[in-house]
Amino acid sequence: MAERGFVRGIALAGVASLVAACSGGEAGDGVITLDYWCWSQSQSEKVDAFNAAHPDIQVRHTDAGGGGDSSTKLLTASRAGNAPDISCVEYQTIPAMVVSDVLADISEYTAEVEDDFSDEVWEMTRFEEEVYGIPQDVGPMVLLYNQARFDELGLEVPATWEEFAEVAADVRERDPSSHLATFAPTEFGNFAGLAQQAGADWWTVEDREWTVGIDDEATMRVAEYWQDLIDRDLVRPEPLLTPEWNNRVNNGHVLTWPSALWAPGVLYGVAEGQAGDWGIAPLPQWESDDRDVALQGGTALTVTKNSDHPEAAAEFAMWMNTDETAYDLQIADGQYPACIAGQEAAAQGPPPPLTGRQQDYWDIATEAASHTVPGVTWGPNVSTASDAYQDAISAAIRNGTPLPDALQQVHDTVVEDMDRVGFDISN
Amino acid sequence: MTARTTPPAGAAGKAPGKAAGKATGKRRTTMAPFVFIAPALLFFLAFMAIPIGYALYLSLQGLRIVDEGVFGIRTEVFVGLANYRQMLTDSGFWAGFGRLGLYGIIAVPLTLGLALLFALLLDHGAARSKRFSRVAIFLPYAIPGVVASLMWGFMYLPSTSPFSYLTEKLGLGTIPFLDAGVIYPSMANIAIWGGVGFNMIIIFTSLRGIPPELYDAARIDGCTEWRIAWRIKVPLVAPALVLTGLFALIGTLQVYGEPTMLSPMTTEISQTWVPLMQVYRDGFIRDDLPLAAAGSVILAVGTLLVSLLLLKITQRRAFGGIQ
Repeated sequence: MAERGFVRGIALAGVASLVAACSGGEAGDGVITLDYWCWSQSQSEKVDAFNAAHPDIQVRHTDAGGGGDSSTKLLTASRAGNAPDISCVEYQTIPAMVVSDVLADISEYTAEVEDDFSDEVWEMTRFEEEVYGIPQDVGPMVLLYNQARFDELGLEVPATWEEFAEVAADVRERDPSSHLATFAPTEFGNFAGLAQQAGADWWTVEDREWTVGIDDEATMRVAEYWQDLIDRDLVRPEPLLTPEWNNRVNNGHVLTWPSALWAPGVLYGVAEGQAGDWGIAPLPQWESDDRDVALQGGTALTVTKNSDHPEAAAEFAMWMNTDETAYDLQIADGQYPACIAGQEAAAQGPPPPLTGRQQDYWDIATEAASHTVPGVTWGPNVSTASDAYQDAISAAIRNGTPLPDALQQVHDTVVEDMDRVGFDISN
Repeated sequence: MTARTTPPAGAAGKAPGKAAGKATGKRRTTMAPFVFIAPALLFFLAFMAIPIGYALYLSLQGLRIVDEGVFGIRTEVFVGLANYRQMLTDSGFWAGFGRLGLYGIIAVPLTLGLALLFALLLDHGAARSKRFSRVAIFLPYAIPGVVASLMWGFMYLPSTSPFSYLTEKLGLGTIPFLDAGVIYPSMANIAIWGGVGFNMIIIFTSLRGIPPELYDAARIDGCTEWRIAWRIKVPLVAPALVLTGLFALIGTLQVYGEPTMLSPMTTEISQTWVPLMQVYRDGFIRDDLPLAAAGSVILAVGTLLVSLLLLKITQRRAFGGIQ
């Protein structure tokens, strides 16, 4: 019976969105009205600022849920012909959205912002001169760690993954109720980033022919490394950001979170009481003289094919990600902007509240942002890869089977899926 | 009054009024039913028949790559039974039905058993504070399934669970509610907790409909309360039990909310834990609506077959005695 109420709710929501979609478009006297989906906090303030500065374009903002939910809805809405004009999409999902015919190529409008972003950042939204989005924020990977607990237990921040394992062992020895880190079976993007840092190329494409490499040597090396830590009970395998995990963070039992520059904001949301206790450090490296890290997460503003006003939509997307007013609001929200000017402005400000006492926060952040792994390509079926990853890794942890085998399974599922849909695959 | 006087009047003017009376009368009798069922029919067509037809059509389509743009574009083409072949040979999909079976074996009998037990207790003459008990047992049904799942989820997670708190204080460690094996009873518990009240009301209503003379006769024959319950009440509410059983069975086949809500809390629940979760994943996360349509059709046909089977088995037992 509960299902019926649920279905009714969905039907009502559907009707509501239809009504909303129908009322879009031009609202008399040449004012263009655009619909915009995005989930991060400062969005509505940024949109208000845009509307104030652009009397001829008015944008309506909707929070359609976080990255995963929002892209699911965007696909469905696009198939129904009522997608918003502009939507935030995570970088890793952009190729899939292009393949599903959701996004419009806006390269004819974007020449003016070409120099506002680095090439590494453009690579994530520009494919063979076709531009499918204006980068909003990026997440260079760093090690977020609980400085207060590190001091209390007399631990050194690890610089290499080898040291990371040693520190993990020390933690278990000095405080058996704590773990250095969590290995989360749900964090596809995180593991992808760790693998990219080690040199993995999960997808490569040339002339529409794809090569999938989720079973490549670098990936297997990373998988074996974490398998060893799990086997020795040096990291705790469990999902992140659950009530259980949040509780452990608040009790000081989770000492680090190898993640990205957006993480202090996320963690502050669940562990406000620990403001000032945490800090960031460069992500550990495989070789001590390496400096490259991957980008984890991050979003771009994309224009949909459903939009009747692609030019106005592109103008909005560019303003939101290059205008000073916009990136100042974004920085205040704890996001690390994708545009060069925004990154420079961020470095002038105070660190986020969670890491509020760290003097060199922005030095470390800038260092990470300027050494990102180049040439990362995301595949056209990242969502398949992501849920295959979650299921295979969860099963591996549950059954105590090796992680490399699970990644082999993910690889096979991805290749099979691409083959079924009709992509040219070289392997 | 008018209704009573009409037939003689009609009969009196039989010969002359025949042709005209017949024509208008006939029109009235043939139009009226259609007018009355029109709203229902309209809704049935709009919200059942057409969507089912569309799902069947979609299930024969597939999204395949055509060379266009930088990566190619997925476009809808006719693929025949390829989606059905894919679903029917997918061991993960069948494993989902297996989990459903395990879950159902726990949830269905316990829900019905407890509902029957509570209904009988409430119907018992000596029961006190009936109204309060009825509301208390029914109340969980009023809690939305998603809220119930979240609430139980918190009560299962080791660090927030009040049960684990107690066992930990007693030095017994936490209770692994969300670990392998235990997950089935944990999940079933949410459905039982939410469903017993609704089923109890149906059975209880049916019990109130039994003529009290039967009990008097039984008591005169020397029946104990226990024997009255077992020999008279239970056989007479059998149709209500079949009905609630059918609801519970269909409810089981459509389980989606509970595992979906609990899945972020444990690695035990995969994206394809039950068939509906897989249908959702294929349709919306993997953007393959045709494949999801094929999965839904298989699930719907399966539900129909199982329901018919249940009715077939129980029909003689439930309704045979009454007819």
